[in-house]
Amino acid sequence: MKGLKNFIFLFAMIFVLAACSNDDSTEPVNEPAKESTESSTAGDSNKPTSEKAQELVIAVNENFISMDPHNTGDTNSNSVQAAMMEGLLGFDAEGQIIKVLAEDYTISEDTMTYIFKLKQGVTFHDGEAFNAEAVKTNIERITNDSSLRLYSRGFSLVNGVEILGEYEIKVTLSEPYGPMVTRFAVAKMMSPKIIKESIEDIPKNPVGTGPYKFGKWVQGDYLEIERFDEYWGGGDRVDKVTFKPVPENGSRVAMLKTGEAHAIYPVPAQNQAELSNTKDVKVNSVPSTIARYVSLNTFSKPLDDIRVRQAFNYAVDKDAFLKVVNSGLGVPLDSIIPSKTLYYKQQQVYNQDIEKGKALLAEAGYPDGLEIEIWGNTNSDTMKGMQFIQQQLKQIGVTVIIKSMEEATLSDEIYGAQTPEEAKLKMWYVSWSSYASDVTNATKPLFHSESFPPNSANTAYYNNPETDKMMDEANSISDEARKTELYANLQDTIYKDAPWIFLGVDEILYGVRSNVSGVIVNPTGGLDVANAKIN
Amino acid sequence: MLKYIVKRIVEMIPILIVVSILTFLFIHLIPGDPARLVAGKDATLEEVENVRKSLGLDKPIIMQYFSYMKNLVSGELGTSLTTGLPVIDMFKTRFMPSIYLTFLSMFWATILGLLIGIFSAINKNKWPDYLGMVTAVSGISLPGFWLGLILIQIFSVTFGILPTGGLNGFSSYILPSITLGAGIMSMIARFTRSSMLETMQSDYIRTGRAKGLKERTVIVQHALRNSLISVVTVAGLQFGFLLGGSVVVETVFSFPGMGRLLIDSISFRDYPVIQSALLLFAFEFILVNLIVDILYTKLNPKIQLQS
Amino acid sequence: MQSSSLVKQDAIVVKHAKYSPVREFWRAFKKQKAALVASIFIVLLIVIAFVGPYIVPYDPFEPDYNAILQTPSAKHLAGTDEYGRDIFSRLIVGSKISLTVSFSAVFLGLILGTILGLISGYFGGWIDKIIMRTCDVLFSFPDLLLAIAIVAILGPGINNVIIAVMVFSIPSFARLVRGATLNAKENVYVEAAKSMGASHVRIMYKHIFPETISELIIFVTMRVGTAILAASSLSFLGLGASPEMPEWGVMLSSGRDYLGTATHVVLMPGIAIFLTVLAFNLIGDGLRDVLDPKIKNN
Repeated sequence: MKGLKNFIFLFAMIFVLAACSNDDSTEPVNEPAKESTESSTAGDSNKPTSEKAQELVIAVNENFISMDPHNTGDTNSNSVQAAMMEGLLGFDAEGQIIKVLAEDYTISEDTMTYIFKLKQGVTFHDGEAFNAEAVKTNIERITNDSSLRLYSRGFSLVNGVEILGEYEIKVTLSEPYGPMVTRFAVAKMMSPKIIKESIEDIPKNPVGTGPYKFGKWVQGDYLEIERFDEYWGGGDRVDKVTFKPVPENGSRVAMLKTGEAHAIYPVPAQNQAELSNTKDVKVNSVPSTIARYVSLNTFSKPLDDIRVRQAFNYAVDKDAFLKVVNSGLGVPLDSIIPSKTLYYKQQQVYNQDIEKGKALLAEAGYPDGLEIEIWGNTNSDTMKGMQFIQQQLKQIGVTVIIKSMEEATLSDEIYGAQTPEEAKLKMWYVSWSSYASDVTNATKPLFHSESFPPNSANTAYYNNPETDKMMDEANSISDEARKTELYANLQDTIYKDAPWIFLGVDEILYGVRSNVSGVIVNPTGGLDVANAKIN
Repeated sequence: MLKYIVKRIVEMIPILIVVSILTFLFIHLIPGDPARLVAGKDATLEEVENVRKSLGLDKPIIMQYFSYMKNLVSGELGTSLTTGLPVIDMFKTRFMPSIYLTFLSMFWATILGLLIGIFSAINKNKWPDYLGMVTAVSGISLPGFWLGLILIQIFSVTFGILPTGGLNGFSSYILPSITLGAGIMSMIARFTRSSMLETMQSDYIRTGRAKGLKERTVIVQHALRNSLISVVTVAGLQFGFLLGGSVVVETVFSFPGMGRLLIDSISFRDYPVIQSALLLFAFEFILVNLIVDILYTKLNPKIQLQS
Repeated sequence: MQSSSLVKQDAIVVKHAKYSPVREFWRAFKKQKAALVASIFIVLLIVIAFVGPYIVPYDPFEPDYNAILQTPSAKHLAGTDEYGRDIFSRLIVGSKISLTVSFSAVFLGLILGTILGLISGYFGGWIDKIIMRTCDVLFSFPDLLLAIAIVAILGPGINNVIIAVMVFSIPSFARLVRGATLNAKENVYVEAAKSMGASHVRIMYKHIFPETISELIIFVTMRVGTAILAASSLSFLGLGASPEMPEWGVMLSSGRDYLGTATHVVLMPGIAIFLTVLAFNLIGDGLRDVLDPKIKNN
């Protein structure tokens, strides 16, 4: 009987909550009116000029997951965080490292000691001062919590944080780690107060030093950030930015056309021409660091034969790929990393050559072709791409069976295999993106023999002791010339081995209304609204 | 009657417990590893295991079930695996919009459906009947996402009179509710027509006519009342469906309702959110069924509730 | 008095059916003009589904990258899709797939659902409770969720789409039949049959099932249509048939990306689906007017 009471209680609770949420959900309806009266009265007393509050609306393709900057994996959440919080370092529009909250920094010869001189006069949104103590609190939060994303991405190697002065701090690593600089750019600084006092608020209401402060987040509906007037960097920007997740492509495009959204990201490639011809709308494109390819399981038959893999590469017309699947945008993938990535070296593309493909296949013992599965997620672009591969390989007598699986099922199928022998995967239509400055993340998880699933993403099961050595060495040195040489060799070797069908590098498209300026998308797909204005 | 209702409500509890067990097994049966999905594509095995541990997914399933139920009984729905937010917080903003949308869609669909159905039945095999039925049939012959996208093209893009989506006041409900209600309106119209025709042929209606009752009285008081039984079934069914939120409509109109939350949570295998949402839907659905059963007896005294 | 006359009426219908079922049916059905037209359409469609692959102007799988997204013309009656494939040919070949999926799913669901509903409504008590509560559980899973779960567990592919669509129509049939059964059970002639010692199965089959037919027919025809739509919704979520298949739902949902730019890609399969579903529903209405003994054309 006790259980019964509790159940009734719980469901009573739900309805009470429903009643509460009633208020919540009607709030947005009332709010604009409420706020405008507030701001107009405020405007009367403070600013004599009756300037209208500028509110920018941006529609993005996916829901926001979390606002915890130390535990975020999705691009859209990152974009919003980047408007509110800053790291010691950051990225420029090209994706290269710049100084943000650090005045200056030095890296020791062995790449294990980092000394940062901090900017002075910076305050967090809650009034806390930004200093070495604050940085220490942030770094220690990450190094003490192994469940945070950033912990396992570099910060687990931190074995000492030492305050050298009020605005100077030293971080030491236990072993060399090449992409640590990128990690310092990713790790945003939060107010030490929120970390110490209300850590559970971080995912929903973070406090940083950025040009905007957190406003309001209605789960599944919108997320609002407001201008932070005491921003240390100065500059001018809109009063408010509202981000709305709109997953359906057609709906997002419609919002830009009607002006309900000032900017949308991404613009579906097939809508580029249409939107470019729409009045008051501009479509901008950015070359991305997103590589598209089909990974080929080099461990199992028939793809263990390099001739088969090369034949597959020769079967595919890269220009047709871009034309059909990407609506003519992007460039062929002419290395194992996109051209924006550091240490990129162009390779000789496998131009389509059906005869050569057929010959290679026959030489490998498949004169009558073969049958093979391709896996991919249920994304409409992926399905389009897989169909294209199917059509292309048919020309050399290869029958491709498309198996599109929901993302979670797919990842289970791929990472469920504990050893290369267990892997059922043959071909995987997929993409990879990493920071332009982080060549380690663009190579090691994909080609190192330590990275076989389930340990990481080397789904080609590419196993080459020679290239393993190159990656290991490049990862532990700071000598630029040697690094360039190693990565050049790496790209030459792997591209020739063809562990992938190399397809293309995406171009990111985003649309803005023509009266909007300062909305920028960087090569990894992050939105930058720091200087956004409506004219 | 009251005794019956109380009894049915008490009966809910074992059902909900069974539902909770079934859904729990069910969602764990679907392939997919939330720890892997949370950790990300480039995560190493060690990182995945760290995440698994911190999410409490390393414990045996039976333990996970009991700790979930323990929380539930004390009024906690748990914490989302992906967002790290309490599940209740995630429900709060999405629950009512779904309810409003359901009511609005049911409201106009039922009224219009009944009207078309009656009108068609009275004018059987004449042109108003054909017109009514073609309207009704059209409503059910269009895929929801297609209708939604077309409506956006027409009313938002071309004429600019209604928002394309989101949730911003009453106008945001109009297009989603048209899309959602179209099929229901059709169903109700056709069911009303057919059961009206059926009852109008029955003996007691004939008797009524023979007694010289006005045609209007016959139709409204007798035929309609009787045909409402099957209409209530259909409406009840549809209502139950809608409460779970409509995945397709909510996606097309980026409407922040329960359906989209559920789909998102399924794709991330966010067990606590899926589990709680399904339990909530089951509860709502059983409640609607109870109301339908009660309405049955009101409409047809011949049916007795077994108590 | 009333009840016995009704029983007799039933018997007469059965007798008629034995003597000249086809002619009798045809005589009544001919009067249903809309249904007649719709039947001709469906018959044609079924014929097309069978001979389609031999008469199509183009190979429905053959891409032509130099002719992508062309608007309808004399060469391509319904235009070409994003790979330059002939949409008209794809629609024709796809009719077979779409019809197979919807017919199989609905009939499997109908059989299972009707049996469950009859048993549940007729016996009542704990059997009713178990069946109905199971249906409640199935029902309380939002419309597509069950289908999604099934596809996630069984994997993608057309057969699993059929199973998924079937499973979520079972409870609808069961509840509907149960409702009608409850209603019919109260009729005096059922009591009469019971008191005469007729077996349960006989009563269910002879006296109750016929009472549910009118509603079932209308629901089945709706369901054939809805099944086509449900398959397309699954495609909308990326869980339908394999993307290269010219199944209408797949064509519709993959074409939706081109709604603003190459409208015909999404319009053509939309029209095909719309007309087919419409036709099924009109036939359902017509059949109902003819078959239901309680609705007589005066």
